[in-house]
Amino acid sequence: MPGGGHCPDCGSTELVEDSHYSQSQLVCSDCGCVVTEGVLTTTFSDEGNLREVTYSRSTGENDQVSRSQQRGLRRVRDLCRVLQLPSTFEDTAVAYYQQAYRHSGIRAARLQKKEVLVGCCVLITCRQHNWPLTMGTVCALLYADLDVFSGTYMQIVKLLGLDVPSLCLADLVKTYCSSFRLFQASPSVPPKYVEDKEKMLSRTLQLVELADETWLVTGRHPLPVITAATFLAWQSLQPSHRLTCSLARFCKLANVDLPYPASSRLQELLSVLLRMAERLAWLQVLKLDKRSVVKHIGDLLQHRHTLVRKAFRDGTAEMEAGEKELRERCQGPEQGKEEVASSSLDLPEGKRPASPTPLLPPCMLKPPKRICPPPPVSTVTGDENISDSEIEQYLRTPQEIKDFEKAQAARQAARSVSNPP
Amino acid sequence: GTTPLYPSPMTPMTPITPATPASESSGIVPQLQNIVSTVNLGCKLDLKTIALRARNAEYNPKRFAAVIMRIREPRTTALIFSSGKMVCTGAKSEEQSRLAARKYARVVQKLGFPAKFLDFKIQNMVGSCDVKFPIRLEGLVLTHQQFSSYEPELFPGLIYRMIKPRIVLLIFVSGKVVLTGAKVRAEIYEAFENIYPILKGF
Repeated sequence: MPGGGHCPDCGSTELVEDSHYSQSQLVCSDCGCVVTEGVLTTTFSDEGNLREVTYSRSTGENDQVSRSQQRGLRRVRDLCRVLQLPSTFEDTAVAYYQQAYRHSGIRAARLQKKEVLVGCCVLITCRQHNWPLTMGTVCALLYADLDVFSGTYMQIVKLLGLDVPSLCLADLVKTYCSSFRLFQASPSVPPKYVEDKEKMLSRTLQLVELADETWLVTGRHPLPVITAATFLAWQSLQPSHRLTCSLARFCKLANVDLPYPASSRLQELLSVLLRMAERLAWLQVLKLDKRSVVKHIGDLLQHRHTLVRKAFRDGTAEMEAGEKELRERCQGPEQGKEEVASSSLDLPEGKRPASPTPLLPPCMLKPPKRICPPPPVSTVTGDENISDSEIEQYLRTPQEIKDFEKAQAARQAARSVSNPP
Repeated sequence: GTTPLYPSPMTPMTPITPATPASESSGIVPQLQNIVSTVNLGCKLDLKTIALRARNAEYNPKRFAAVIMRIREPRTTALIFSSGKMVCTGAKSEEQSRLAARKYARVVQKLGFPAKFLDFKIQNMVGSCDVKFPIRLEGLVLTHQQFSSYEPELFPGLIYRMIKPRIVLLIFVSGKVVLTGAKVRAEIYEAFENIYPILKGF
């Protein structure tokens, strides 16, 4: 060993550095005498001071783990701490990362993918504990592209054979709503805009449930629906002062990003509420529109189960009936039956609204963009004779080839002029 | 004793397969939308020459190492590689895919290469249809968790990986279904008949 160290016990010069527990020691390889110690703490003293000594530090297992993996594991722990997750989540996420690393495809992956893998492991852990973390949040924290994240996430779920539960909507509502800065007056939030958190949460949850029941949530990104529902809940709690505030302004003063589809979700939710309002006797006379219906959201939510049942009829039955009607119409004139309107208990004859709309996802209610005629039945066998003339239409004439070559050469010349060597 | 060679009138033979199937067939037939096939032209090709002498060819070696060629009937696209291998996409039936591949091979022949038509194989078939009722995807992913993947944050449809036959289905809230991964047409039909009763339950 360089430096001329001697063992005080046996005088040997064969001293080696050995990391043991939390300190590095200089040990004589002949007699085992500890010559010097590094830091003056041991696991014993650490435990005495109630400091936790991690398993990896005490056994030196990190010596067997590659630097890349160590970095990844550190990133996993960092991300868990940034998100303020319970400590048990950290261990699970780390375990998933290690499990993923055992696959050669992951070990050989690019750094960008390994970075995104950190987010995937944390997200899967959160989902399994019903902790409402969105992919958007993870990507924002990792400065990662959602496309890259999506590919790695799908791959790792398949690779590790994991069962990842769906995002819990109710929990997401609670977390997301709580992030809106509306519960205290501030320079940007006038006193009339301040709202009670519990009231807003409860009403938002009811609106989100209503949206889910009326097919506004399935197949769509969950967050914009919640943004729209939060806005409506807030407006409806004090409509006289808040109807003038737009969705964009609301998000700005609440210090929350406005997701692009939220305006569309808002319009859809208002349409549902209007349909429900048509079924409430004392509201029908008011001839509500998308602005005035907000004042009555409280009433509508109170009776939402009955109103949804009355306002919408079974979408499937409607489609089958509609198709039957079409067929009958084709067969003979004036054969189509009138659809039976809803019960007459709520409104008098003359004031009955239009027959209930079918309860279907918005994509099924919109008229088809273009009617695709069914393709004609093909009689191609694959063995047909191929005529020469048909093939020759795809070949350039000698003149065309010359012209093309000339054009190519001219372009090449123009390029070399503009980029002189 | 021994069983009689002919059944007696007291024990009439009954047909083994029932006249009507146990479950009602859906009555919907998936339409084929895309066929991907490959064929080996059996000779090395000079892509620059092909791009120069064919009207319907595209070649950007910096972007992709193959010539992209298109024909009008059947309306398809081919990727032609310098190794002589070719991929044909866009046909609506197996026969059309084969006819199209033969036409591409003829074009290459007329461009001066000794192209053959070896190992033609259908690699993938894509079909689609509409069950005409909405589907609660969140319910489906709960009950068929081991086959389903539904991440609305990423994609609006549910990805269902059927094991028998080995087909991947994309199921949307509108009731439209896309089926892919088939090597033969029957797999698409079988996969749809398997999924239809499951979808009706939602």
